[in-house]
Amino acid sequence: MGALVDITKCIGCESCVVACRLYNGLEPGQNEGYRTAQDGNTELAPNKWTVIQSHRTEKSEKQIRRFVKQQCFHCLEPACASACFAKALQKTPEGPVVYNEKLCVGCRYCMIACPFGILRFEWDKPFPRVLKCQMCLGRLADGQMPACASVCPTGAITFGERDKMVGEAKNRLTSNPDLYTGQIYGVKEAGGTSWLYISDVPFEQLGFRTNVPEKPIPEYTWQVLRWTPFIFVGWGALLTGMYLYTKRRAGVHEEEEMYAPVDDDGK
Amino acid sequence: MKDCASDVEKKEITRRTFLKMATGAGLLAGLTGALAGCADKNPEHAGGKGWLPYQYNVAGNLPAQVRGRVPIDADNPSIVRDDRKCILCGQCLEVCENIESVYGYYNLPVVDETICINCGQCSMACPSGAISERDDTQKVFEALADKNKFVLVQTAPATRVALGEEFGLKPGTWVQGQQVAALRRLGFDAVLDTNFTADLTIMEEATELIKRIKGEVKKPLPQFTSCSPGWIKFCEYFYPELIPNISSCKSPQQMFGALAKTYYAKEKGIDPGNILSVSVMPCTAKKYEAQRPEMNASAAYWKRDNLRDVDVVLTTRELARMIKEKQIDFTALPEESYDQLMGEETGGAVIFGATGGVMEAAARTAYFLITGQEPPALFLNLTPVRGLAGVKEAAAEIPGVGTLRVAVSHGMANGRKILDAVREGRAPWHFVEFMTCPGGCVAGGGQPRTAVPPTDAVREQRLAALYKADASLPKRNSHENAEVAALYHNLLEHPMSELAEELLHTEYHSRADKLERLFAKVV
Repeated sequence: MGALVDITKCIGCESCVVACRLYNGLEPGQNEGYRTAQDGNTELAPNKWTVIQSHRTEKSEKQIRRFVKQQCFHCLEPACASACFAKALQKTPEGPVVYNEKLCVGCRYCMIACPFGILRFEWDKPFPRVLKCQMCLGRLADGQMPACASVCPTGAITFGERDKMVGEAKNRLTSNPDLYTGQIYGVKEAGGTSWLYISDVPFEQLGFRTNVPEKPIPEYTWQVLRWTPFIFVGWGALLTGMYLYTKRRAGVHEEEEMYAPVDDDGK
Repeated sequence: MKDCASDVEKKEITRRTFLKMATGAGLLAGLTGALAGCADKNPEHAGGKGWLPYQYNVAGNLPAQVRGRVPIDADNPSIVRDDRKCILCGQCLEVCENIESVYGYYNLPVVDETICINCGQCSMACPSGAISERDDTQKVFEALADKNKFVLVQTAPATRVALGEEFGLKPGTWVQGQQVAALRRLGFDAVLDTNFTADLTIMEEATELIKRIKGEVKKPLPQFTSCSPGWIKFCEYFYPELIPNISSCKSPQQMFGALAKTYYAKEKGIDPGNILSVSVMPCTAKKYEAQRPEMNASAAYWKRDNLRDVDVVLTTRELARMIKEKQIDFTALPEESYDQLMGEETGGAVIFGATGGVMEAAARTAYFLITGQEPPALFLNLTPVRGLAGVKEAAAEIPGVGTLRVAVSHGMANGRKILDAVREGRAPWHFVEFMTCPGGCVAGGGQPRTAVPPTDAVREQRLAALYKADASLPKRNSHENAEVAALYHNLLEHPMSELAEELLHTEYHSRADKLERLFAKVV
């Protein structure tokens, strides 16, 4: 499954943010009620799996404002899951990359692995978790959209089969080439993601990481990690060999000493 | 042999060896399970333990009738939103779209601002109280505690029929006297009445109307009223080509603010820089209006850039909060009168709080200014423009001029009907009143939330109280206000004089570049 975010349709109402909080039972922090302009944009947090960030930029020499929804991109080949030796992060057949806190050992390798910098760690908890958007797996199982997509009043989020979302994005770009930039973010980034974006402003102006490699991140790690069994076995064999060699040498040395001719001194 | 036996004894399972073995086995099992990812047969994922309102739990892409909520900027001067209380019921969007016709009437993408007319009707419809007015009470408390500040307050016509509801009184209870008393107990140095400038607005606006009809002012007809700041912003966004139709008169709040730091300051010998001008309004858009860059006539008058005509705007709800915070027993307060100089009122000013009120008051004074005679009974009870019908029309004969045709609307969705007619050149009216809020100021976005969403029953009770007060007052026409006459005598000379233009009139500007207008609602 996948979602298509049309940035040109977002009005910044943050309904999706509230829906995410309500459905996932995320407790708001004490200071998360009223916000002032001075507070700036909110960031993703363990209890905020999606946020809307406001960007002021220019288009055709005019000041414009755009709103960008942030959440886990649910990569097709997730680096976080590949980095997680405890299998706490797993890619499900339906598309979501989900987190199981019962398996998590808190090593935070996933956070280092994520090319989009999405995952958040509960630094203030005695038994911390690493949290992120789960794409509302339970709702998907019931044939419903993720909470955020279901509440959007302007239709800025469309949800469905990923292939269809890519097709829908292409349709919009071709039917309105004057409006959109022509790029679909998420088709190739990090090997492809389940969340796709289209925009009328270049993505680099909207805070997107545009230097994400197109090759899936796990492929890079695999180039190194595939040697692990050989190194594991080879290193063991080498050390065993060296152990046996030194042991034998020590034995020979003892034997030689034992049977060495006694000095004439007779000592 | 003995030695061998002791070795066997040593290898028996002791408590220590058992614990070591059990721990090792547990660790091994845990590690194996974790590595295999199969320790939990039914893996649980985080989240999904909460709920969503009914309308969002539909399969697929079925359209829900009410979906989402209105966008509110963090720097919106009128309203704020507490995300912890929002339940995504969609009532705010319903009002914004269907009552005020704002959301859904502009194309996307947004340009560079969140489109909002600051009316606060969303806060009236919000069942969880997540949307509320921006609280400015602390600014006032601080000023009241400052001995060097002269804190002056004006109260709008509509607050006196609603404030009591915050203290358990029936909707529409007349609490003008208690409100004055409460403001004095809070420590305001002068308690004055916006009704004074409501009468003044009528003098200026009726004069302007006559000049337009006679062709002395080169501005189009019909003339639109300009007292409701939400409506002004609406027109600037959606009907900028009709801005010349809007009366150049400022709203009563802003006329009062301009005079407070000029006329009042001079007459009382107070440095305008030491005055904190506070207003108590039924309206959240007044907070935005007071911040408009144009609203600094006193700064131009004194050539002191830092002066604002109105410094702080409180809603009726905020005033109630201040009274409660100071533990003033509101219902036990005696009825007190406003201070002099800018505190007199007439019936014409009182009905400013009702839909059709500005129109009726203006018609009365226009009749007088044209004929030189007091208006007849029809003008004192212009019933066709009263009541809660969305669009109302009336025609009245004025000797020497002919038939004065007027129209009244409240709620901007109703206003669009008139505005579209004017734009298409099929408007027979001379004068049109627009009120942003349904029912007029009595049901403004800053009024007590006696019924959520607001009901016509509450609106009618508040309206009835205003018309009852109008009927019982000795002076019912704005031109009879003696303090207004004194103002003209002492300072302004006559309506629309040069100084009156400087202090009491303004210009409005198109905001069409902030959005791409849609003339029909987005489906």
